[in-house]
Amino acid sequence: MYGKGLKPLSIATVATLAAAFSLVFFYAPLDADQGFVQKIFYVHVPLAIVALLGFVGGGVAAILHLRSGDRRWDARSYVAIHMSVIFGVAVLITGAIWAKASWGHWWVWDEPTLVSFLIVFLLYATYYPFRYAIEDPERQARYASVFAIAAGAFVPLNFMAVRLSESLVHPRVFATAEGGLPGSMMLTFLVALAGMALLWVTLVKLELTAKSASGQLSRLRRALDAPAESTRPPSRVAPEVS
Amino acid sequence: MPALPLDEAGKYVAGAYVVFMALILIYVAIMAVKLQRIERELRELASFVEAAAGDSGAQSRHHPARPDAGARAQGSQSSSVRPSGSGGRADDV
Repeated sequence: MYGKGLKPLSIATVATLAAAFSLVFFYAPLDADQGFVQKIFYVHVPLAIVALLGFVGGGVAAILHLRSGDRRWDARSYVAIHMSVIFGVAVLITGAIWAKASWGHWWVWDEPTLVSFLIVFLLYATYYPFRYAIEDPERQARYASVFAIAAGAFVPLNFMAVRLSESLVHPRVFATAEGGLPGSMMLTFLVALAGMALLWVTLVKLELTAKSASGQLSRLRRALDAPAESTRPPSRVAPEVS
Repeated sequence: MPALPLDEAGKYVAGAYVVFMALILIYVAIMAVKLQRIERELRELASFVEAAAGDSGAQSRHHPARPDAGARAQGSQSSSVRPSGSGGRADDV
């Protein structure tokens, strides 16, 4: 069910990312201050935005799970968080590389943007042990949803707190009094952001497809293991993830 | 078209993009392995079901008056010929 439309989505993702990287290296001008190093911006910032939005999306899916009791929303919440954690790893590594190139240090502890993202990342890193420490599937899904909602609410609060803090180290390129990015850079950035968002959606869809197939396989096996139980409604045999 | 200055800065920019691509490739490779495993297990299950259906068909020809013969044959097959790896997985969300 989740596999439907995966192929055109994958093609669109590859095309958009290829266009974005072409724009980055052959269209966007060199930054007057940072020079060529600023090209990291086009991969680092879209990854961070998509990762943070993915965490919030995981929280929204968790709300829908608690409201409806539908395990498919729990699966979506789990996969959204999982994918955002992977994107988060990429954000931290590309950010460290950029910091080393620009500031001469891999990490700067007194920079609120870096530390706040690390806090969010570590918060979500605890999601896995928290989730799998609970054996009962129903309780596991419910508690994981509560975690996802609480952590998802923390993400925008954290973002606002960082924006309010006064830092002169980490660059602010959006909504500044000076006008922000020039047009060619903004266009490149928006295409890169669209590419990263499409990549996130494609990978989430791919993982949901694999989970759905794996879940259906497990249900088939259980049904073959215990033919007498196959007369029960399917939802009682195993949570539906289709 | 600006030239690509592959000096000190180019090393870092290349590093950042390579890290991004490597992470995506690793993830896609892991997913490919998972999907291959699912496909293999599905093939095993399909061949097992076909074998069980063949057995139940043969038994129903010998005992046409017993409607539960097929289910019994399937039940006995499932406990003995059942493919491996049928336990519940922690990631079956």
